[in-house]
Amino acid sequence: MTLETEVEALRKVPLFHGIDETKLRLLAFISDRTEYPAGERLCSQGEEGDCAFIILSGAADVLVDTPDGQKKVAETSENSIVGEIAILCDVPRTATLVAVNNMDVLTVSKDDFLKLLKEFPDISLEVMRTLALRLERTTRDLAAARQGAAGS
Amino acid sequence: MEKSLFRFIWKYSSRQQIYILLVTVLSYPVVYFLLELPKLIVNDAVQGDNFPKSVFGFDFDQIPYLVLLCFTFLGLVVVSNGLKFYLNVYKGRLGERMLRRLRFELFQRVLRFRLPHFRKVSSGEIIPMITSEVEDVGGFIGEAFALPAYQGGMLIVQLGFIFMQDPLLGLAAVASYPVQGYVIPMLQKRVIILSRKRVKNVRLIADKVGESITGVAEIHANDAAAFHSADISDRLYENFKIRYEIFNRKFLIKFLNNFMNQLTPFFFYLIGGYLVIEGNLSIGALLAVIAAYKDLAGPWKLLLSFYQMTADVSVKYQTVVENFDPKDIYDTDRLTSDENVKLTGDVKFDNVSFSGGAAGQEVMDISLKVPSGEACAIVGPDGSGRSEVLQLAAGLVSASTGKVFIGEHDLDKLTDSTLGREIAYVGGAVHVWSGTIRDNLYYGLRHRPLVLPKREGEDLKNYKRRVSEANETRNPVYDLAADWDDLEAAGVSSVTELDEKALELLEAVQLSKDIYRLGLQSRFDPSMNDTFAEKILSVRQNLAERIVNEPALGGLVELWHQDRFNASASLADNLFFAVPSDPEITMDQVPDLEEVKTFLSETGFDQKLQQIGLKIAETMLELFSNVSGDSGLLGSYSFINQDELPEFERIVRVAKSGQQRPGLSDADRSRLTGLAFKLVPARHRLGVMTDELKEEIIGARKRFLEGVVKNSGSFVAFDPDVYLPPLTIEDNLLFGRARVDRRDARRRIDDVIRAIVEETGLRRPIIYAGFGYHVGVSGSRLSAGQRRRIALVRGLLKNAKITILDDIATGMTEDDKALRDGLRNILAGKTFLFGTFNADIAAEFDQRIVLDQGRISDKG
Repeated sequence: MTLETEVEALRKVPLFHGIDETKLRLLAFISDRTEYPAGERLCSQGEEGDCAFIILSGAADVLVDTPDGQKKVAETSENSIVGEIAILCDVPRTATLVAVNNMDVLTVSKDDFLKLLKEFPDISLEVMRTLALRLERTTRDLAAARQGAAGS
Repeated sequence: MEKSLFRFIWKYSSRQQIYILLVTVLSYPVVYFLLELPKLIVNDAVQGDNFPKSVFGFDFDQIPYLVLLCFTFLGLVVVSNGLKFYLNVYKGRLGERMLRRLRFELFQRVLRFRLPHFRKVSSGEIIPMITSEVEDVGGFIGEAFALPAYQGGMLIVQLGFIFMQDPLLGLAAVASYPVQGYVIPMLQKRVIILSRKRVKNVRLIADKVGESITGVAEIHANDAAAFHSADISDRLYENFKIRYEIFNRKFLIKFLNNFMNQLTPFFFYLIGGYLVIEGNLSIGALLAVIAAYKDLAGPWKLLLSFYQMTADVSVKYQTVVENFDPKDIYDTDRLTSDENVKLTGDVKFDNVSFSGGAAGQEVMDISLKVPSGEACAIVGPDGSGRSEVLQLAAGLVSASTGKVFIGEHDLDKLTDSTLGREIAYVGGAVHVWSGTIRDNLYYGLRHRPLVLPKREGEDLKNYKRRVSEANETRNPVYDLAADWDDLEAAGVSSVTELDEKALELLEAVQLSKDIYRLGLQSRFDPSMNDTFAEKILSVRQNLAERIVNEPALGGLVELWHQDRFNASASLADNLFFAVPSDPEITMDQVPDLEEVKTFLSETGFDQKLQQIGLKIAETMLELFSNVSGDSGLLGSYSFINQDELPEFERIVRVAKSGQQRPGLSDADRSRLTGLAFKLVPARHRLGVMTDELKEEIIGARKRFLEGVVKNSGSFVAFDPDVYLPPLTIEDNLLFGRARVDRRDARRRIDDVIRAIVEETGLRRPIIYAGFGYHVGVSGSRLSAGQRRRIALVRGLLKNAKITILDDIATGMTEDDKALRDGLRNILAGKTFLFGTFNADIAAEFDQRIVLDQGRISDKG
């Protein structure tokens, strides 16, 4: 796989939707391309997060520690970014990621991603827009949930 | 030390000086005949009559007589120039020997200074004194007596001739001498004073430059560059002023000399002319006198310039020597004596006072006793006199009143050969010498050469010459190549045991881990230690097997394989399947190696690599041209740094335009090739590596092996069964590359290597390999903590009867506490003085002496 294919994959990630191609190429170039065989951990809940993962192929289980042991709460899909919360704000990993099958992942380190944001404000804007959209949706969901709770 | 230059010269070279004089005198007749012969040839042989002439009982006709005289002339030319050559070499050699003697004497005097004296002198001043300032003395010494004698003799002969012609004219010839003899020294005196000033000023400049270099971090941290620049600039102006004045005076002297010398003919013409007209002098005599005067001018001029040089060199000598004669300098015996008194018994201070010359560096009227074989803490904050007491106990400084004893012996009466061997002192400010860790560890055992190397043939001859030269100049004859490590003193019987003991102590001071890491990163020469190399190779095999058999490990490493492309290694490694034998050669230099150039052009890889390089450069330009230089992205990810960007922009532009002229230069091509060499396909996913290209690269390996590696020693091929000296031990253990596309592969594989190394008992030899690590200038490649620990091990290895530590291992951490326990164990049964500022730490010791403001405030 070359940069070009990685750029294709990045383009499908919603977060990088409106960003032009050369910047995506730069992002791809400064990220590490890593492979994870099935069963290997990408990260563990509670540890400090120093990078985000962009999944090019394969899938990972999202596991959360509960009093009854680890519990699968979701599964990541191709062309999605996970762990980006950790590189935007300093919080520990909120979940454990374990590869389900052989995965192909682009790892972006926190420092490099922040440098990139500083360097190209339009990427920041795009990231902001995506996060705002998510927040808006979450707020709406919350409101709906509250209404549902009040109505019942 | 001899205060005057001439006394120094005469004392150490009177015999040689007399010899030079004799040979000079011997050359007089030769020179005289050489001057006479042309006259004889013209007058006697060419224009003469009365042939045949009889010479030594043989008769010669005119032509044979001419031939005889001419050949005699030729012979004398050879002899006189030969003598000159011989004399010059002799003088040069004498000068060099005297210079060597002087320099060594000065250095030895530096070693004889008492410690407090070093508060007053700086290395920035001492170094130029020993090196450059005395340089002129060497050139002068050979001439010191011969030149005045020879030229003076010439002068007297010529003067005698003039006086014999006419006393009055003789007086005229020397009329200017008294004036010159009076005026010139007057002017010269001022020049001498200026010269001294200049020397001192230059020393100050040297000192300031030296200080700026040592404190360069401070300069930047405080933005004090302007201040220092102004300071130096000021000194340089001072230097200019002094030099300018010296020039003025010097040329004034020259002007006066020339004027006076030409004034004399004026008197000749006036007085001589008058005498001739009056009929009191023949015209022939006047002409002869004028001719003689011309010959007079030469020696006189030389004598005057000799006088100036003498004044100059003498003042240089004096300004140097006066700095090396402090009143309280130690006897030479203190350094050179090899007498080793066994220091057993209690450490005892009898009403000892000492002052280091500043407040907080003094101790007053101290009496104490530390019984032999016991450990005692000396407690007190900095400035309490703690360090002074410990230095007094080590014999490093001498009490101004009172006495320090160990057993029966007054430390002040002992020499370095006792103090430095019987006492181990490690102070707060340790010094680590440039050299290897081994050099530094065993430094405390290197007192005298012990086992001389066996020498034969040429080597022996050279050595004998070195010894005789050393004797000639009163230098020491210690053999640097000898074995200096005093195994007996360390309590071991062989070098292996010494290494083991050092390792044991390194473990005790918790430094072995650091040295193990240094050892892994170091290179070693397998020819020095076959078994070690074999062990490494067996670990390599063991590791390779595990990597093949355990899939979890296998995914972390790409091993070197003759027929496989290694995506985690650079293109250069893949193509050559070898590394340059000289580890100093960087990737940027590889394309310029002659073998590589030929290989690349023969295989057609030069074009391909340049294309790859071009593609890389283009991509980099495209990716990074909009990135600002200070973001740091460029430096850490691009092949190209910010400064090189415009350069590659040009190269890409030229290459793209397809112009034949000017086209790419060879250097540009090398740069592109170098760029391609650095490509690691798994990391830089630029899409330039096709499967086809990989095949070609693998194919080319064999040609490189056959064509280059086997024929020249400049590359070493990757071979699983061979130790590769240019690679570090770590890279030799892991015969491959940790995969760059697996997270933490490097760290995880390192853990595995460490485990295997421990299992196979390789840890020890790797640490020994770490002993060969070069610590840099004054240990700059070690951390401050590592330097202290190395100094501590150095002190412990001496196995001395008395060990004195000052401000070492005085941390409150658990590690330091364990270290102190270890030290007490190691030094059990020996006298041990431990200096610390902390009362809690002191409480770990059975005995304590508390100091406050230079006095003992408490004992316990």
